[in-house]
Amino acid sequence: MKPTTIMEALKLKLKQQIIEALNLQDTRPEDIDDNAALFGEGLGLDSIDSLELMVLLERQYKIKVEDPREGRKILQSVQSMAEFIQSKQPA
Amino acid sequence: MKGKYYIQSAAAISPQESFSGPFVPQLLTLADKNLLRIKEPDYSGFIPPNNLRRMSRVLKMGLVAALQCLRNSEVSMPGAIITGTGKGSLQDTERFLKNITEYAETALNPTPFIQSTYNSVNGLIAVQQKCTQYNSTFVHRGFSFEHALLDSMMQIAEGNADVVLTGAFEEISDEHFYIKSRIGYWKKALTQPAELLTSRTPGTIAGEGSAFFMLGSKPGNHPLACIEGIKMVYKPTQEKLHAALETFLAQHEITPSDIDLLITGQNGDVNHDHYYHNLIVQYFPATTSLPFKTLCGEYDTASAFALWLATQVIKEQGLKKILIYNNFYGDQHTFLLLSNS
Repeated sequence: MKPTTIMEALKLKLKQQIIEALNLQDTRPEDIDDNAALFGEGLGLDSIDSLELMVLLERQYKIKVEDPREGRKILQSVQSMAEFIQSKQPA
Repeated sequence: MKGKYYIQSAAAISPQESFSGPFVPQLLTLADKNLLRIKEPDYSGFIPPNNLRRMSRVLKMGLVAALQCLRNSEVSMPGAIITGTGKGSLQDTERFLKNITEYAETALNPTPFIQSTYNSVNGLIAVQQKCTQYNSTFVHRGFSFEHALLDSMMQIAEGNADVVLTGAFEEISDEHFYIKSRIGYWKKALTQPAELLTSRTPGTIAGEGSAFFMLGSKPGNHPLACIEGIKMVYKPTQEKLHAALETFLAQHEITPSDIDLLITGQNGDVNHDHYYHNLIVQYFPATTSLPFKTLCGEYDTASAFALWLATQVIKEQGLKKILIYNNFYGDQHTFLLLSNS
């Protein structure tokens, strides 16, 4: 599979996991823009959601984010989350 | 505890159509379990969708009953928020415990943990109303709502608050129903509410619900009822229970014949039915009685539904004096005296 296709598949899967984990009723994966902010004006998530997303990364991708400052950057958007996940995958 | 504490408004979510419109009690039909679940109203008119998605059933029913009670009153900022619950959020507690075992105590979701605490409904009400006043939740099994009520009355009596939002909330989950069925809380055979009091078997039917009251030192513009006194007795003998009733009535300078309606917690459980039976035979042989658990089922804070029911009866029928007598599995016994003004 081409790298771009892998990335697209990862983002779609991530969107589905976010919707399920945060119980975002009436939201479909295609409603979430890859680069839209997850917090504030974008999806309108809050601090408890950020903790839920950390748990999602740990459970689904076995990635533990230790530094909260790093977490802010990772959880900016679906794109940033996917890039982070991909960077942690074994080569 | 004696005095006058006015119920300025009330709201209840129960297995009955109790949330909106005039209340018409109905003996419901159970399908497959001895369990009465609440009729859930449309929560979206009360809670923003972004908050609603995170809440479990008990949080929604507790918060919305409280908000409806506030809407029914002329009060936006109560002087205190005081509630009672026997089990709190069972759904969140079970989710959190399952996560602990499933994920070996790592990667635990924060939401069920936060919401599994008993006082999360109180916290939500306070946040929604921006109310930073006294805030407390009592968790004392069959005395949970009674202690919330007693604390509310004391806050008013001591001048700490003019109006107090007080209430109770309880949910039943499938797991909890199963656990309680193993220890004989529920009847073994499917028993309809209409047959409950004549079943003559151990156990009862489960229930759930939430009820909230705006309690004030003054009647307000549309008082529903007045709480004149409350008396709690823990694990009494029949003699001590009767003595407690006599003392309670004497303190209020009334006799059993002054009671227009006796609302009882009779639940058809032969293990504890004698408390009600003997009390009625000895003191209230000619008084009309209304067994409220045929309407809402049994749960730790069912007495809050009884109080809500009393306010509806007083409002509709204008009775002068109502006595509520409830006991929770023979351990926690409560007398609550209400008047129409």
